[in-house]
Amino acid sequence: MAKVSVKICMGTTCFVMGSSQLQDLVDIVKKKYGDDVEVSGSTCLNYCTHSSEYSKAPYVTVNDTVIQEATIDKVLQEIDRKLS
Amino acid sequence: MFIDIYCTQEKKYNQNTYGDYFVSKRDPETDRLLAVLSDGLGSGIKANILASMTATMLLKFIEADSDVRKACEIMMNSLPVCQKRKISYSTFSVINCNSEGVTKIVEEGNPQFLWIRGNEVLEPDCDIITSETFKNRKMHVYRIKLKEGDRLIFCSDGVTQSGLGTDKFKLGLRRKGLIDAVLHKLKEDIFISSRDLSKFIVEFACSLEPDRKAKDDISAVCIHCRTPRKSMVFTGPPYHMEKDNYYANVFKDFEGKKAISGGTTANLISRELNIPIETPVTRNIGKLPSVSYMEGVDLVTEGILTLTKAYEYLEDEDEMQDDAAGELVKFLLESDCIIFMVGAKLNQAHYDPNLPIEIEIRKNIIKKIAKVLEDKYVKKVTIQFM
Repeated sequence: MAKVSVKICMGTTCFVMGSSQLQDLVDIVKKKYGDDVEVSGSTCLNYCTHSSEYSKAPYVTVNDTVIQEATIDKVLQEIDRKLS
Repeated sequence: MFIDIYCTQEKKYNQNTYGDYFVSKRDPETDRLLAVLSDGLGSGIKANILASMTATMLLKFIEADSDVRKACEIMMNSLPVCQKRKISYSTFSVINCNSEGVTKIVEEGNPQFLWIRGNEVLEPDCDIITSETFKNRKMHVYRIKLKEGDRLIFCSDGVTQSGLGTDKFKLGLRRKGLIDAVLHKLKEDIFISSRDLSKFIVEFACSLEPDRKAKDDISAVCIHCRTPRKSMVFTGPPYHMEKDNYYANVFKDFEGKKAISGGTTANLISRELNIPIETPVTRNIGKLPSVSYMEGVDLVTEGILTLTKAYEYLEDEDEMQDDAAGELVKFLLESDCIIFMVGAKLNQAHYDPNLPIEIEIRKNIIKKIAKVLEDKYVKKVTIQFM
């Protein structure tokens, strides 16, 4: 099975809109999925500037899927979908 | 040649303000570094007023190239007279040097400065000028030429008299003791910065006092001549996107230490120069995103939040933490000449009123940082907008 890659945006906008809390995903994902899912950060995913409605931060990508207003639950749901 | 200067001070025990005063100014137009250290009569507020008046006035005078004797007469006549002692008094050391090393020093009342070259203390000749109105006040005027690697150390009598009356130093540390301590420290670390050396001297002087309670105000000013350590901080994308590649290459070709401050900016450099970014998701220290890594770049941080925090740390060093902004401050303080390359492009997302905290405009925060680096830390700062 291919690995799932999760990227958390650590840019200014996302960070103040909540991605600082999303860093807990590192531990949660490790516990839940082991090595099947890899979590990493990104200096900026550039969605805030390119999206016409930029108030949808924080952004997280799970493989190619972009999650707006990401929360830990939303990200975990998306990972489950990718793995199923 | 770059002149690295720093002053560290400690106030007399139980006083709420410093009785010594230090001011310095780098004048890029005339390529001069001007500095004055003054020790006011007594301690606390009174001494502080005398010392700050002395230092501020003298700085203005040397800035205007006034005759030193005249300047000192005017200054001494303007100081308020102490009600108890019926005299007005404050000592001073005036330093005026350029990047060629041509230096003029005028001292009155402070312990004689140390001029250290290699492992030796040099003893330069001086002219003595006696004040017309105050016969007991003699100004020592030195004209010296500094070479690369030379150090000058100025201090208030709080340093040379530290430990006075203790068994080990019945007469205090004195000049001899200070020379021994400084030479010993330089043997340990020949490249020590002026900042660390002045901190060492003040710390050492305090350690000689019983219970570490300073009996007098203690100040040490260190000067070090050396090749400048250059650094560049690249922050914000250029206004015209087609210039991205050009500026990324300016960054690449810069000789010195390099930092990037900004997520989008880091992506831009990564894209143009084809260097991958590694962003570890570790629990960040404090409230800032942690640093990222790029090959060939000394520091990569988030932008506005980190810069804003770094500005706060520069204003108040006691607040400094070991987070990304702390690293940026360390990066800046370890440099002598700093170039800020500031992208003028706006990030629309930062102006979203839904953002929970106020986000500064990049240009403004850089201007503030530049000002504090110049005024408080006497760095050479250049800002280039792109």
